[in-house]
Amino acid sequence: MERQEIIDGLVEILKTVRTINPEKLVGVTEETDFITDLNAPSTEMINIIAKTEQKFGVEFEDDDIDDLGSKVKNVVDLILKAKQKA
Amino acid sequence: MQITGRKVAVVGMGGAFPNCSDLADFSEKLFSNQSLIRTWDKATEHGGKVRSSVSGFITDGEMGLEPVYSTLVSNNFPETYIDKYDRIPAGNLATADVGSIWAMLGAQDAIKMAGWMTSETQSEKTGVVIGSGTGGNLILRTAWHSFFELGKKTRLSGSHTVDRTMTYREAANVSCLIKNQGVCEAIGSACATGLGNIGYAYRLIKFGVQDRVIAGGVEGTSLETFIGFDGMQVLSRGFAPEESSRPFDVNRNGFVCSFGGGIVALEEYELAKARGANIIGVIDEYFNNSDGDGDMFYPSFEGQKRMWKGLLSNDGIKPDVVKVHGTSTPVGDSIELLSVVDVLGEEGYHISAPKSQFGHMLGAAGSVEFITALLMLKEQKVLPCLNSTTLNPEPEAFQKSEKWAGPVKPLAAYRNLIPQQSFAKQINRIACLNYGFGGTNSAISISKDQ
Repeated sequence: MERQEIIDGLVEILKTVRTINPEKLVGVTEETDFITDLNAPSTEMINIIAKTEQKFGVEFEDDDIDDLGSKVKNVVDLILKAKQKA
Repeated sequence: MQITGRKVAVVGMGGAFPNCSDLADFSEKLFSNQSLIRTWDKATEHGGKVRSSVSGFITDGEMGLEPVYSTLVSNNFPETYIDKYDRIPAGNLATADVGSIWAMLGAQDAIKMAGWMTSETQSEKTGVVIGSGTGGNLILRTAWHSFFELGKKTRLSGSHTVDRTMTYREAANVSCLIKNQGVCEAIGSACATGLGNIGYAYRLIKFGVQDRVIAGGVEGTSLETFIGFDGMQVLSRGFAPEESSRPFDVNRNGFVCSFGGGIVALEEYELAKARGANIIGVIDEYFNNSDGDGDMFYPSFEGQKRMWKGLLSNDGIKPDVVKVHGTSTPVGDSIELLSVVDVLGEEGYHISAPKSQFGHMLGAAGSVEFITALLMLKEQKVLPCLNSTTLNPEPEAFQKSEKWAGPVKPLAAYRNLIPQQSFAKQINRIACLNYGFGGTNSAISISKDQ
């Protein structure tokens, strides 16, 4: 799975999060930060992670979620890692 | 300690009312003797598993809300809501169940009616005191089912299970919306919750702790709550929806489980007067107590009499109208009527039972019915005891007991007190009564501003 394909999928998830301004989702890159760039409430991050697991058919380790950074590339890396494991 | 001379005014109100578009529609329907009770499809779709089929319910669409369903746990689980009229920001909606949204909408309306400036609303001297009966809700049920029955990870239930279900969620959500800096709490006293919160708010102002409080009770539409009471066999059945709630009628056979929200804005009287606020009513006194007989459910004649003594201990002025709890349950209504008659006598006032028109809103009952009392003060009309068609011509069984120390006449002897239709009369003072499981009794007295 290509990294850009994962980013596109993440943007689709972020569009369903009503507390994120849709205008901020134009031009999301690997360096985009969920918290500082998208102003995602920290409480929404776990919802985004759960929806990510569902969309990409993976299950993350709790330790990996605890250590997860807040940039898009961190989630992309985690998805690829989980897919490799599977 | 009460501060002598410090009074509390009601300066705003709002809420969520079954089958009504807004407060004005609610008022118009009540004073034209309409019932707001309907057959509830959410109950009837379960066929014979649910005993009662009527409710004063409110749908999401009727409140201008659109659920956003979760893809994670269940097809019918509202992850959050869209406010079609953009009244509540998405960030506040994310932390709210439907009841909390109704509370926020009611608070907005109450503050608008009160005319509070932002600096007043966001003051350290402004509190929020709102509660609910919390009989159950879809959010907890779904989260628990996902974990315990489906064996899914906790994170699949989402990160808002706690804030959307915690005991004082309505108060917390309203506080986060209006950004007050004073007290934020919830009082819980079952079916007396709505009035209990208003009474507590009254005391906060009366005792000088706060100058303004947004107060009330909410009960969000919930089949989970409904089935709890349905299983107790205490809900009305066998009547057409509009005839199902019939306080004092000889054929009453249970209450109608309903939902709604009532929020009021209270303010220290002199502050309200000084800024030229429209004073809807003035609170004379609030009193609450417990039966003390160890019985969770059975109403207490003695407990209610002690409640009346406390309520009238201030100035002893009797009310023109008694807004009763009047649930349409066999024992509750008769004990309540007889305690009122024992204290106030057989004439000189009228009894109003708003549950006859919209059913029993549980944790919201006391506050929505408090609003009906404010509407009676405003309109100078008594709301009816709808469907109180026939009063028992025979004494109740408990009246024949040797232990009974109350009035011995049958309920039919008090027909003159119980109107079946709304009517106009001069109303200066109204007493509002509500009781709850656990033997808790609450009463408040309100008057027109003189």
